Amino acid sequence: MAFFKVGNVAVKGISACVSKNTEENLSLPFYSSLEEAQKMIFATGIQRRHITPKNLTASDLGFKASEKLLDSLGWEKSSVDLLAVCTQNPDYINHPDSFVIHDKLGLGENTMCLDFFHGCPGWVTSLSSVCSMIQGGMIRRAVLIAGDTVTRDNDPSNKETRPLFGEAVTATALEFQENAPEMFFNSGTLSSEGKALILKNGGYKNPYNFETLKYDLDRKAGKLSASEVDDKMDSMDVFSFAISKVPKAVKKLCAEFAVNIENIDFFTFHQANKLILENIAKRLKICIDRVPMSLKNYGNTTSASIPLTLVSECGKILSNSHKRHIVCGFGTGLSWGAAYFETENIVCPDVVEI
Amino acid sequence: MDINEFIEKFAEIFEDTDRAEFQADTKFKELDEWSSIMALNVIAMVDDEYDVLLKGDDIRGSETITQLFEIVKSRK
Repeated sequence: MAFFKVGNVAVKGISACVSKNTEENLSLPFYSSLEEAQKMIFATGIQRRHITPKNLTASDLGFKASEKLLDSLGWEKSSVDLLAVCTQNPDYINHPDSFVIHDKLGLGENTMCLDFFHGCPGWVTSLSSVCSMIQGGMIRRAVLIAGDTVTRDNDPSNKETRPLFGEAVTATALEFQENAPEMFFNSGTLSSEGKALILKNGGYKNPYNFETLKYDLDRKAGKLSASEVDDKMDSMDVFSFAISKVPKAVKKLCAEFAVNIENIDFFTFHQANKLILENIAKRLKICIDRVPMSLKNYGNTTSASIPLTLVSECGKILSNSHKRHIVCGFGTGLSWGAAYFETENIVCPDVVEI
Repeated sequence: MDINEFIEKFAEIFEDTDRAEFQADTKFKELDEWSSIMALNVIAMVDDEYDVLLKGDDIRGSETITQLFEIVKSRK
């Protein structure tokens, strides 16, 4: 069990950026009736999702989110020692996205760039790494960007995935601060069960040939029938995994570091869907009021979902008070990461829409 | 583990389906109210009540309530 704690690091601010363009779940083409759509919306909690137009990428959203964050904090670009990016949708397959965003932001040559290739648990996983780098006091300021344009890889005719996924990219500012409250982390991996979420083609294991390229283009255009598509997310397995592993990860984190669950203000989980979050809350015996959800307006925004939720649902409160947080990301891997940290009067500008 | 108790808990998940429709040999996926969301509710109920974690294949591989009951029972 990977437990660790980090001292002397403070979360200074969080920002998020989405496209103005939204897709309403009530008007998706494949529902046979209004009632069917309403039932789905009720169970998932997702009414609409922001979908990035094709002329923009995750790096554009990440750039806007971090520009807003640096401005709001009054951080000089030259003061950023580390720029970390967690995305599964980089602009290029052979060029890490941190370099793209470093260039857009106009950061200097003394800023280190670092990339994490990770999905839904990615914010917590990369946060743990970045904070570990800062705690020594040599790297003093870091910006962590996390998020995807995930719907581009999905089949638009898939009734299970299309109503769930939205797109957002977030930026988190972290700074060395002596005697900052300690942060605690707990991560786990179940790789043998993560294969259902794999996109099989287009990597170096199965490079595209004419046949597989055509298949993927047709799939992404929604031209294939359900029986022709073989790489479907098994929502039942994901559900089963989430409702069992997440409460356990949180309980183990609290037990290892003597965190009193009653003192936690916000339990912000990866925004998979309402049914999963309600079940997790029930298993942890915590009131759903302490579980912020951004599902209604944003859906499942992969690695952006936890920081986006903190901004969109708790931003005002976080900007003028001290709060104790437990977060847990889960999914891709399969893997999960739980963390405890505190925030005090952090900078949380309104979600940027471009 | 008692099959009648299992059927009772299974039936409680459903809102619009008459209790009488739930029998040991009921093919639950043929019920009007059955949906992908209902499948998740069944997984949650079994985890809550029996501490057994069902997978997608368990639901796909079962036709009747008894078949699902047998899977849960075998993992107790």
